[in-house]
Amino acid sequence: MIGEGIYAALTAASHCTAGCSPKEAVWQSGKLTLYRYRPIAPSSGGAPLLIVYALVNRPYMMDLQEDRSLIRGLLAAGIDVYLIDWGYPDGADRFTTLSDYLDDYLAGCVDQILQTHRLDALNMLGVCQGGVFSLCFSALYPQRVRNLITMVTPVDFHTPHDLLSKWVRKIDVVSLVGEGNVSGDALNQLFLSLMPFRLTQQKYIDLVAQTPNRSQIENFMRVEQWIFDSPDQAGAAFREFLIWFYQDNRLAQGRLELTGRKVDLRELRLPMLNLIGMRDHLVPPEASVALQRLVGSDDYTALQFDLGHIGMYISARAQREVPAAIAQWLATR
Amino acid sequence: MTNDPWRQWQTFLAGLAGANPAGQTRAPRDGASGFAPFLDAAERYAAAARSFMQSAAGGSAPAATAAAGIFSDFLREQFADFQMPWSAALNAGNGASRAFSFDSPALGATREQQLRMQRMAGAWGRIEDAQRRLQRLWSDALREAATAFAARLASPPPTASAEELRKLYDAWIDCAEEAYARTAQTEAFCNALAEFMNAGSEWRRELQADIEHWAKLLDLPARGEINTLTRRLKSVEDQLRAARTGLMPTADARTTRAAPAAAPTARKPRAATRTARIPPAAARTARKPRAAARKTKRARGKSKS
Repeated sequence: MIGEGIYAALTAASHCTAGCSPKEAVWQSGKLTLYRYRPIAPSSGGAPLLIVYALVNRPYMMDLQEDRSLIRGLLAAGIDVYLIDWGYPDGADRFTTLSDYLDDYLAGCVDQILQTHRLDALNMLGVCQGGVFSLCFSALYPQRVRNLITMVTPVDFHTPHDLLSKWVRKIDVVSLVGEGNVSGDALNQLFLSLMPFRLTQQKYIDLVAQTPNRSQIENFMRVEQWIFDSPDQAGAAFREFLIWFYQDNRLAQGRLELTGRKVDLRELRLPMLNLIGMRDHLVPPEASVALQRLVGSDDYTALQFDLGHIGMYISARAQREVPAAIAQWLATR
Repeated sequence: MTNDPWRQWQTFLAGLAGANPAGQTRAPRDGASGFAPFLDAAERYAAAARSFMQSAAGGSAPAATAAAGIFSDFLREQFADFQMPWSAALNAGNGASRAFSFDSPALGATREQQLRMQRMAGAWGRIEDAQRRLQRLWSDALREAATAFAARLASPPPTASAEELRKLYDAWIDCAEEAYARTAQTEAFCNALAEFMNAGSEWRRELQADIEHWAKLLDLPARGEINTLTRRLKSVEDQLRAARTGLMPTADARTTRAAPAAAPTARKPRAATRTARIPPAAARTARKPRAAARKTKRARGKSKS
């Protein structure tokens, strides 16, 4: 591969598209699309699982390619998987609030699934910021969620090693957001600045210094696509998220209110599985571990993996262990 | 493949660039999707690493220490001009603060514009000041990284293979990230970063206001009026939704949003329908009892993220 082939391979891989499992759009609202994945194995018979991804990146990371797909692992276990694609907010979405995201968009998806399956409650998997949304939704609508799984989800935003939180706490967020949206590219640069040497230098050197085969190059390019495919953030929701969660830490302190209703984690009595990346530089493990002491559930399980934030979705080890852990946990509930 | 690691490295780099003689190697590199800077950096790094290894190998202990110092200084210099990724976009307006006098009195018909420009210039000055503080902290982190790296180089690798060059590079990155992480957590860094961003926000807000002013003069649509329209539209949407919620019953009182007072206990029909189909109690009974004690499992391993 070293030599004339590598550039050809990189160029060819530039056009690789992420996302591999067949799915169909089953509901839309504004820019949001709710997808249902086609089954690839006999049904486990459990309630459908709704994956709630973050707003700050694109959800296809959950189904990057055949051998790097958390969703594929869940489908193989017979789980009926739904995924929310929040879309790309534009200027018309600048006044969309967190309440809009939860009460309208997320609640709309849940209603759609419950109607389709004639069920009272579904299973929910919240990822990163989507995990925060899932916790809030479950606290506000306890009857609609049967089992809750959170993955690399921050709960306590004021833990000592949370660098992003330390940075954000001193920023004038109202002034930063103004009345507009927040550039996804600018946000991405902030994330890269958390580990600038590794994320802007070493990983490229690593790529060219090895002798990657076509498959590895394509994998690299798909991840690269995902990293830099950063939707702009709806201004109002972004402002609320930064102030209420990062600066005020209201969720952990029991002071969060959405649309005039208190979000009380102690009210969460449903079975919960918390998946934590022990080398997560975006969501330090302590920020996730805190969930256990804050919820009222007596059926709480935490699984800790020696993985980073992205590794939790796409590492080889994650493929082997994470979907299996989720399927196993759900099967017993 | 030759046994000389320097030649191995050069062959490797040449291979990346097309494995062709000079004249043909630059073209693919320049067009290689932004990889050229990394390849150039790798070449510079390899040359310095080779020099270090040659000086250190078989030399006296003081010579090895001196070589390590030179190598770590080289690495520090290589990264000295590195800027925080978000600062690049702001460099286009460099020097704006010097274009305006801060203390000239704002008088007459253009008073408002002058004040706005003065505020912009002031904000830009704060941006530059914050950037200088960040650059100093960055430099401090690099110095710390270089010191740590030099300490690791006290015993140079026995062979100067391509693999050893990689290990040296990785060691440098480790040192740099560790030093940066310590610096980035400090109060000084957080304050400088916040000032950089806050001043940037102020500068942008004043610039927007200035552009709005000129747009109004030319009767062009501006963001302010679009925002007004968007707000009105959202307000209508919210009222519609609230009215709809008010008309539709829901099975769960908690699902009722802040709705008109006329229908505070409204319920949504779809939820009621669901309840009729599968009673929650039955669904709950079918599930396993929740007696499972809290437990925390650890599933640690050695695989990398």
